[in-house]
Amino acid sequence: MLKRVLSSESSASIIALIGVVVIFTLINDRFLTRLNIEGIIVSASISAIAGLGMTLIIAMRALDLSVGSIMGFSAISGAILLSYGVPLPLVIVAGLIVGGALGFLNSQLINLLRLPSFVATLATLSMILGGELLITEGATVTIRNGMSSRLVIGKLFGIFPWAAVIAAIVFACVWTIFHWTPFGRHVAAIGGDTRAAVGAGVNVKAVTVGVFSLAGVLAALAGLMVAGMLQNADSTVGVGAELTAIAVVVVGGTSLMGGRGNLVGTVCAAFLLASVKAGLNIANVSSKYEGLVFGGILIIALMADGLRRGTRRKGMLVV
Amino acid sequence: MAVNAFVEEAQRAGASALRATGMRKRFGGVEVLHGVHLELRPGEVHALLGENGAGKSTIINMLSGRLSPDAGHVELHDERVEFKNPLSARNAGISMIAQELEVVPTLSIVENIFLGAEPSKFGLIRWGDARRKVTAILKELGVDAEPSCIVGAMSVADQQLVEIAKAIVGDFRVLIMDEPTSALNLEDTERLFKIVRRLKAAGVAILYVSHRLWEVFDLADRVTVLRDGNVVASSSISETDINTVIRAMLGNKSSLIGDAGRPRRKAVDIRNKTPTLKLEAIDSGSLLRDISLTVHDGEVVGLAGVLGSGRTELCEAIYGLRPIDKGTLSLKGAPTDLSEPKASLANGVFLLPEDRKSEGIFGHLDVRENVILGYNPATDPTEVKVAPTVANRSSWRLGGAAPIAVPAERRAFDTMRKALGIKCSGPLSNILQLSGGNQQKALFARGALSHPSVMVLSEPTRGVDVGAKEEIYSAIDSFASRGVAIIVGSSEIGELLRLASRIYVLRAGRIVAEVETASTTEEEILKLMAG
Repeated sequence: MLKRVLSSESSASIIALIGVVVIFTLINDRFLTRLNIEGIIVSASISAIAGLGMTLIIAMRALDLSVGSIMGFSAISGAILLSYGVPLPLVIVAGLIVGGALGFLNSQLINLLRLPSFVATLATLSMILGGELLITEGATVTIRNGMSSRLVIGKLFGIFPWAAVIAAIVFACVWTIFHWTPFGRHVAAIGGDTRAAVGAGVNVKAVTVGVFSLAGVLAALAGLMVAGMLQNADSTVGVGAELTAIAVVVVGGTSLMGGRGNLVGTVCAAFLLASVKAGLNIANVSSKYEGLVFGGILIIALMADGLRRGTRRKGMLVV
Repeated sequence: MAVNAFVEEAQRAGASALRATGMRKRFGGVEVLHGVHLELRPGEVHALLGENGAGKSTIINMLSGRLSPDAGHVELHDERVEFKNPLSARNAGISMIAQELEVVPTLSIVENIFLGAEPSKFGLIRWGDARRKVTAILKELGVDAEPSCIVGAMSVADQQLVEIAKAIVGDFRVLIMDEPTSALNLEDTERLFKIVRRLKAAGVAILYVSHRLWEVFDLADRVTVLRDGNVVASSSISETDINTVIRAMLGNKSSLIGDAGRPRRKAVDIRNKTPTLKLEAIDSGSLLRDISLTVHDGEVVGLAGVLGSGRTELCEAIYGLRPIDKGTLSLKGAPTDLSEPKASLANGVFLLPEDRKSEGIFGHLDVRENVILGYNPATDPTEVKVAPTVANRSSWRLGGAAPIAVPAERRAFDTMRKALGIKCSGPLSNILQLSGGNQQKALFARGALSHPSVMVLSEPTRGVDVGAKEEIYSAIDSFASRGVAIIVGSSEIGELLRLASRIYVLRAGRIVAEVETASTTEEEILKLMAG
């Protein structure tokens, strides 16, 4: 049992996480304060939610670069609706529908215009960002809704952080979809060998619609949570988040070549990266170095992935 | 596979299970099928033969819903059907085992077998059910693996067995098998044939495509031969024989028939000559033990052995793709370290890999680039020396940015193309558009351009049609007559008898015998291989 755990693809993230916690606590014992840990949990949960959607997309050997923009757009939409007095439950549903619709748009660009996902979502990244600026005209929309804040940084029963609860529910749903439904298996099949999937009767276009719409919904959820946490929204929400999402997926052990998806790894990596960010903060490292550190982690993760997938010829990394 | 009462009745009536009439197909401006008729009857194995390019793949892709015909229609049990995609054909009861494996390497066996047909309840897959069915079928096919095994980690033979399992799970009335035994050993093939015979008895109509004519004559009831997009012969197996069938396949190339199995060259006198390549007590990996062999200039030496005997591994070990843990490898008497392909090439050793798709050709490059890859005109002793200028420096050394090949490279490609008879619509045609035989010749050409002193050929005619096979044999003969030492590894004993003067038989990683071709028989070698 221990051997299986140690050799699993997510074990690297867990080991790294433990290491990181130890190192940062040694640097500054404020790392282990309740405030810091709660902050990490909230931040990790949000990026895990977006990351889980991205995991399925990467498992299909595609990419969604518009995740950050969808986050921002849904955050802004939610904030505006709240400011008009729309009740919170409706706002949440509306926000998720908006995310799903944007994801649907992505899938149509890919299916109808036959654009590679990289190109299609690069386009929608800009388009949606433009939409955000049109709506907000550059201003920040403030939210005055205690409930929306509590649902992110508050705690269920006073013990479990809501953000983590939401992330756990999302994880359970995505896991079930990915491993227990034909749709989920088709996602992995398309990524593993598209020709074989087509030969077996997989409807690639339909699966594309499903996967990108789902990713859109999850990105929207993450965006709504950010808005609730900050109690405001503007066009800077989610900027760069797609890269964090991709990093979280890759560091979590999912291969960019597709065919497989490590959902547990994604969640672990989300916690790892959130811890590193918080740790650097507490250690008073200038945020200018954050990029370098994350880049370094990404490189190590990619190298580990290459070594793990192995090569029959020594010295040659088969991509 | 429950016996279908409807099929039983149809069989009694002598009715047809699948009838294709007047099938035509055009690719680009070229018509590749000119009105083909094909009829499959329940409980019958119908073999479809033809050279590569004759139209076999085209017609079976149309029957299985992967391609749509430009003209003609298909009737399933006398009812007209039209398939828009592979799934609709499968749902109608037409199952296919594709030649190019259609397994997803990152998924498990059970996920692959039920891909597209997952048993589900309330939207969730019933894995328990699925695993049970898979365990049963794996046992029948002789695959020793758990249903949760990832297919990509399995051997090619096992992957092909998973592909076969995928096709025979569930209900179907027609089974199309396209080269289903290409990666299988004798044992697996026999097991498959048992299953085919059982399906026959259950009333399934089977279309069997294979280059292995003896398999066809062993298994089939009827045979249809395609040539250049036309049906040129169709009869029951008892009314014909191998030579007639080959003649029908090749048309005017009929001078190549008969004679298969007789060595065309005299054995080379190797007494008192230093072997070009000598292996002494070589151990490699977990399989090969105590391998000793020699090859001399101008000799063709064969390696016989079933899949798993170490034949492939030995070829790879010589070339440096696998480590040599113990023993000595000597070239021309001098111990040499060929621990990586670069060293082998530098020492004049060339390998034609067994799996050309993943180890040989560069699918995104054109034919010419595939052939001249690695070719350096400056070191070619047959190239006329010209003072180097920018214009004729190798385009590759300039960083590969030049779209036009340097004249020396163009010349080299042309020479090779003529010498080997590579059929392509031009040097710039994409290599994947060539037939298997021509792809193999292109790889041959690449090797020939490096002017090797030793050529190691692993399954050189796998997936190659009869005509191209003969041309490759001639090429091997001519290389041998020019003094190249050649090792040929093959699972086709007839091929080894035709090409080699000596044959080493491998079994379970060891050499169990060395025989002279002139004084042995196919049966004897088979016995040595099987142990």
